[in-house]
Amino acid sequence: MTGFDVAGLPAPEEQAACPQCATIGGSADRFCESCGAALSEIRRVAIPRGRTALQDPEAPCSDCGNETHVDEYCTACGHRRAEPDRDEADLGGIALITDRGLEHARNEDAAAAGMAVDSGTARQYAIAAVVCDGVSTSGEAHRAAVAASKAGVDAMLAALTASGKAHAAVVAGLADAAKAAVAAGTDADASAAPSCTYTAATVVPTPEGTVQITVGNVGDSRAYWLPEPPAPPQQLTVDDSLAQELITAGASADSEAVQRGAHTLTRWLGADAEPKPWSDTSVHAITVVGPGSLLLCSDGLWNYLPDAADIARFCTGTDPAAAANALVEHALRAGGHDNITVIVIPIGGAHEFA
Amino acid sequence: MSSPEAPGISGISVDVDHNPYLAEGTGTVDAIVSIAAGNDVAASASGLAAPADRVEAIIIDCSTSMLSPVAKFDAAKRATAAAIDELVDGTYFTIVAGTEKASFVYPTEGWPTQASAATRAAATRAVDGLRPGGGTAMGTWLAHVRGIVVQHPGAIIHAILLTDGKDEHETPEQLRQEIALSEGEFTCDCRGVGTSWHVEELRSISSALLGTVDIVADPADLEEDFAAMMRTSMGKSIPDLTLRLWTPAAARIEFVKQVAPTVEDLTHRRVESGNQRGDYPLGSWGAEDRDYHIQVQVEPAAAGREKLAARVSVVAGDEVLGEGLVNAVWTADTAKSAQISRRVAHYTGQAELAQAVQEGLSARKSGDVATATAKLQRAMELAVESGNEGTAKLLRGVIEVDERTGTARLRREVAAADEMALDARSTRTARVRKET
Repeated sequence: MTGFDVAGLPAPEEQAACPQCATIGGSADRFCESCGAALSEIRRVAIPRGRTALQDPEAPCSDCGNETHVDEYCTACGHRRAEPDRDEADLGGIALITDRGLEHARNEDAAAAGMAVDSGTARQYAIAAVVCDGVSTSGEAHRAAVAASKAGVDAMLAALTASGKAHAAVVAGLADAAKAAVAAGTDADASAAPSCTYTAATVVPTPEGTVQITVGNVGDSRAYWLPEPPAPPQQLTVDDSLAQELITAGASADSEAVQRGAHTLTRWLGADAEPKPWSDTSVHAITVVGPGSLLLCSDGLWNYLPDAADIARFCTGTDPAAAANALVEHALRAGGHDNITVIVIPIGGAHEFA
Repeated sequence: MSSPEAPGISGISVDVDHNPYLAEGTGTVDAIVSIAAGNDVAASASGLAAPADRVEAIIIDCSTSMLSPVAKFDAAKRATAAAIDELVDGTYFTIVAGTEKASFVYPTEGWPTQASAATRAAATRAVDGLRPGGGTAMGTWLAHVRGIVVQHPGAIIHAILLTDGKDEHETPEQLRQEIALSEGEFTCDCRGVGTSWHVEELRSISSALLGTVDIVADPADLEEDFAAMMRTSMGKSIPDLTLRLWTPAAARIEFVKQVAPTVEDLTHRRVESGNQRGDYPLGSWGAEDRDYHIQVQVEPAAAGREKLAARVSVVAGDEVLGEGLVNAVWTADTAKSAQISRRVAHYTGQAELAQAVQEGLSARKSGDVATATAKLQRAMELAVESGNEGTAKLLRGVIEVDERTGTARLRREVAAADEMALDARSTRTARVRKET
């Protein structure tokens, strides 16, 4: 869990672990002092970072101004000390936003992203990103989401810097994230054990000058490839939901049964999940040519923008931070029923992966 | 007040059961708070270096009416002897004869003595020599116990009061005053033998003094009942527990009720103990569990916000032994806010049941057949629905409900003892445990 940047500040990592042998070396080293492997700089960020990281713990109650809290509740008016409604980060042009929305008491989504940068050439050669949505019927769901998203990014980056094999990296991320989600519930009682969705993507350039995107998905968060027009936008993931199963079986997307099952998950990470909660079809890759945007999001966004074309309109012709912000604002204006989380990864164009 | 099962827990546990979700604009928070004390919650948990002293007072009605029939007084003497038998060595005890005044039976010089084989035998002999004669003034009996217990600050002080008649030789106001003065000084279990006493009168004593009330219709059953009461009392290890309730600014406490094992409204027992904080006395405790229903009205907040509606602490002396939090979360999702906690619903029904029984019996006494029938029929529905078999069985003694048509009518012939048993036991509740 350590080592994630505080967004907006320079990366505090003055040291880096060798991806091959884990020996700690100076971040300026090009090769590992121990095994000789090429070193790369790993940069990571994860949101939400929580109130304690963003606010003064001694801050007075935002409702009544009283200065003392016990168990996070104001000792005068009883209001729970509010977590920030939104946290956002930028990692080398990748925009991440997570927002509580309007109706849920807490934000149980989480997002993490990381990149490997060649220490010598300063070129990004691998990106990994994850969005997780805590299942709100489980207690302390945000713990599973935070743990799984960080573990997934860590495992994918470690595998990518070691071998460069994207499919294996995404599977390694799934495996570590599944373990982390279960571990997040070990000190909770069984009824409160948390669970979450998991949508991951890696981006690696190919020798041919194209870009390979590999996605891994459990649950109903989504990944979209949104190329600049006229190329058509596309949804890269298939929801693990009752609705999707019915649609696959031939039911109409507008039918009542599909609408009812829209948010009933058939796969998830964490409490009560199967030991290997993903299927072989959960991981697949496409090769794309930029420019365009790779978007990862929770259902708090796509509920209001179910078609890839609708989402694409927000992302074309603008920078990732503005696109991410516009998407989240749209979901809030449309009702903000659920937590909203987006990661926008620019590919091609003015970006490094040209 | 005790429950027979000893919970397999250590220390004091406080468990909150409620639906925290509220619709926007509403602010009524209901919670069932279960407090359980384990076997080891003795002197150590009560913040005392040594176990608390115990003082027992047994008050036997020695009015002339106890002689009719003679078997009644003989049974009272045997019952007192049985209770004396249960006294644990070292317990301070005293036997009091109650008439229009109170007098020492044992020890004759007045101050309680410690139980031993010798003192138990001497006390039994003194009781055996009692001769009834005189009137009934229960307030003087309570005053007598109060005079004794000042010698034992911090002790677990318990009295058993036995009578066969009404409080006749003092004014109701005098009795009320004595009860008020005794509140918090000692606990008192009351028993009425025969059917010439008033349930309401004894309940006013037992309720204020955090004890139980019951009818012993047949004098032959007194012996077993007294022994059981004394055994329960010997199981108490904490002199006084307090329920401390913190509520947010501008909140209103609608009620604080014990709902299991019996219904007892504690709302008016509040003593302010600090800013936004009040204390409610829970009496003496052994290894047992009791449930409380708390209803608080808080200021509504916007959807998505969460507020602490109450902090419930269980306190002995100055030490907090357990704590539970009652939160409220506002939501626009009516599927969440419309749910009523199963236990809140159950105990709301049990409190209504106790009230319906008491109001029904009172209407019946005053000849209002229509009200009595309606109230007792409602009571029967509630008792059957909630699985309160004890009360349902007693209700069948006073009201007949045709199972096919649902029509109810009062029974013409009702044994006085059956009616009084229903009244005295109307506050006993069926319990629902938390789903695990």
